[in-house]
Amino acid sequence: MSAVRSHPSRILVALASLALLAYPLLSDDLYYQNMIILSLVFAIGAVGLNVISGYGGYISLGQGAFLGLGAYTLAILSTRAESVSVWVWVPLAGVVAGLFAALLGVIAMRTRGPSFVIMTIAFLFLLQIVATNWVNLTNGTAGLTLPLPEWSVEYQNWPFYYGLAGLLALSLLVSWRIRRTKFGMGLVAMREDEDKAGTVGVNTPVYKLLGFVASAVFVGMAGAIYGYYLAFVDPLGMFNILLSVQILLSMLLGGRGTLFGPVLGAFIIEPLNEFTNNELGGGNARLLVFGGLMALVVLFLPRGIIPTLRDRIAERRARGRAGLVGARLELRERDVPPRPEPTGRTLLEVKGLEKRFGGLRAVDGASFSVPEGSITALIGPNGSGKTTVFNLIGGTMAADAGEVWFDGERIDGKRSWEHAHAGLGRTFQITRLFREMTVLENVVAPLRAFRWGQLNADGVSGSEAERGEELLDFVGMKRFRDQQAGALSYGQQKLVELAQVLMLDPRLIMLDEPAGGINPTLIERMGDMIRELNAAGKTFLIVEHNMPFVLALCDPVLVLARGKTIASGHPQEVQRDPKVLDAYLGDDFIYEEPVEVEA
Amino acid sequence: MTEFLQTLILGLLVGGVYALLASGLTLIFGVMRVINIAHGAFLILAAFITWSLWTATDIDPLLLIVATTPAMFAFGWVLYVTTVRHVRGAHISASVLLTFALALVVEGLMGIIWGNTSHSLRPSYGNQSFALGELFIPKAQVYGFLVAAGVLLVLWVILARTWLGRAIRASSVNPQGAALVGVNVSAVAAMTFAVGVAAAGAGGAIIGTLYPFLPGSHYQWIARVLSIIVLGGLGSLPGAALGALLLGVAEAFAADWEPKWATAVPYVVIFIVLLLRPQGLLGARLREDVAAT
Repeated sequence: MSAVRSHPSRILVALASLALLAYPLLSDDLYYQNMIILSLVFAIGAVGLNVISGYGGYISLGQGAFLGLGAYTLAILSTRAESVSVWVWVPLAGVVAGLFAALLGVIAMRTRGPSFVIMTIAFLFLLQIVATNWVNLTNGTAGLTLPLPEWSVEYQNWPFYYGLAGLLALSLLVSWRIRRTKFGMGLVAMREDEDKAGTVGVNTPVYKLLGFVASAVFVGMAGAIYGYYLAFVDPLGMFNILLSVQILLSMLLGGRGTLFGPVLGAFIIEPLNEFTNNELGGGNARLLVFGGLMALVVLFLPRGIIPTLRDRIAERRARGRAGLVGARLELRERDVPPRPEPTGRTLLEVKGLEKRFGGLRAVDGASFSVPEGSITALIGPNGSGKTTVFNLIGGTMAADAGEVWFDGERIDGKRSWEHAHAGLGRTFQITRLFREMTVLENVVAPLRAFRWGQLNADGVSGSEAERGEELLDFVGMKRFRDQQAGALSYGQQKLVELAQVLMLDPRLIMLDEPAGGINPTLIERMGDMIRELNAAGKTFLIVEHNMPFVLALCDPVLVLARGKTIASGHPQEVQRDPKVLDAYLGDDFIYEEPVEVEA
Repeated sequence: MTEFLQTLILGLLVGGVYALLASGLTLIFGVMRVINIAHGAFLILAAFITWSLWTATDIDPLLLIVATTPAMFAFGWVLYVTTVRHVRGAHISASVLLTFALALVVEGLMGIIWGNTSHSLRPSYGNQSFALGELFIPKAQVYGFLVAAGVLLVLWVILARTWLGRAIRASSVNPQGAALVGVNVSAVAAMTFAVGVAAAGAGGAIIGTLYPFLPGSHYQWIARVLSIIVLGGLGSLPGAALGALLLGVAEAFAADWEPKWATAVPYVVIFIVLLLRPQGLLGARLREDVAAT
């Protein structure tokens, strides 16, 4: 009884699976068997799509193409090799779909949101044209008729039915596993904030590529069975965009990013499809129903059925209980250790860095170095190029000229995750946590290196969770470990972001305005934490406007103005430097000539 | 040589029309970061509206843009206010899904109103050509090009010379900045969407006179205009014009070489551009700290 109360959804899933498996044995109604078989096909399609779109955040309008590829693979091979059992081609169809996805993924690696969507549409239509025009292979618009099933009529469509049910179970298992691995966490990180994911060491292009392949393989296999079941494939039927629409709508309606949402959606959408075909005459009515439903889902149920229900239930349970979000931070007094002796080595060296935006020279030959073991500040008036310098060093932006050396190695031109792997961590001026993840997941998301084996490792392993909790304890956020990051206040997010960067165990930590927008107590605490980490051997480069904070904490201080480093040295020297006073206060710098920017 | 010249000229004439078709799409993307998948459906809708007006009045379909363009402007404005408004500024997937849904609905409605058969607009000069030495240039192509160029010129004047145009460009470059200096970005977005759909209105009348169309044709047209803006650079108006001319010429030569594969040209262009130069020919990479906020 307690199991039912604590896991009602599991009981539901178990009952639904049982009913699904028993149905053909209990009823010989072929109309409903057909409906379930097609629902299974779309469910597999939607579970696959969920990997790249639900977890990874990349919407594909061409998911149906993988069904078509699978169906065509089976049709072409089975009509040419009649002596071989047709089922042999089903796994091969999965391989073919996977290969095409990989090919497409190579192009997708360099594209972002809008271009990716356009590419998936182009993929679908191009395949349709090829299937139409390559008559020798596909028999063109006339299509291919497949061999009839070889089993006894008694068994009706059972092999299709159970074959697809097994495939759905397998793809659900894979989807479940992916969500729990480093791979799945990387995909979610990419969905939440792709640039940020790069800065914490996630090699996003590889994740995107693999996510796309993972979303295609089982769909190709399902497509093969689908084609065999229909006994006929042609370009218009197999590469019809409405197949993609049904798959997409299944995922959206049920709930993207959830395990069972796509299945639930498919078992709603396919019966609806039958209804519109039989009762409303199909054709235009089908377009109106699916188009209208999709618009309604996007506007009024954007997260889908399961997440919306889950929120409602959580809301009812939480009623009357105080949330954690407003709870006090666990700020403890700590003994601030003495400043470490400088090692005399240079950890980071920047030479003649330049970056232009149109006609604006944001960074104009900045050169400086960060001694190992120091807390170095980078200050300067607004618009002097500090954040751009950060972006250039961190690898989220490419420099037009200049060099960046980190620990004797040249790192400019490398990608942001390679910077993270090299031991360079950064935070952002406006915090950028992965909002849909929990605080602990955020902290363990960073990756110190890229290895293929790591993709299949547990997303939050025991030792990582332990380390993550230690770090959360250090920043005073341990009690918040299971909260959604998006629900935290700005100051709390800053602390979590610091813990997140520490997970990389970086040698250089770059903080963009650590004291900006947080209360005075927290600013003081932030300073203490930085000193403590520094004593433990971390080097810091800090951009900050809070001068008392900088002058008390940092040495040396670098001053940037108009994209150039104009002064550097001990805080006291820099404070008295006339060039610095001029940069901050001189009217020459207040009334700059407006720069023409091309629209 | 004559054949080459003939193909080139036809390609450029068609490309000029494509430029108009793509202008609305790239304008809408530039201002609100919305890929309007329904743009193709709007083109075909405009062609059908023109067809109804043409059969009722017998006025030259190219002249009817005087009526279809304002009608589509109003349609675009209403659509924006009722639906698209809700996804402006949302994740790109929301706007793609919504406009895709709109495309399906418009396709279904066109099928119900006009039927799923092929229609075409046939002006009196439909079968005539200008003879230039050995070259034969169909009159419809020339007139279509001229009308498209005229509408594009008007669009350019609006963008470059009017307050609305400056507001549109400002909102496109930096919405926050535009709002700070007193531009009502939300109203400008509504206006931009309506102007983009109106451009599709003019374009639809022209393609209706050049090609037969049915409700399902919109997929082919959205693919074509998407490939143009990918080639030119998403959001860049000059890029769209350049991409349109290039695609027109590429399609003309492909059709000359092997007609059945000509339809594949837009898709192949998309893949090549995304592989070699994802930002397109004239697309600029914006600075991330501004673009991201």
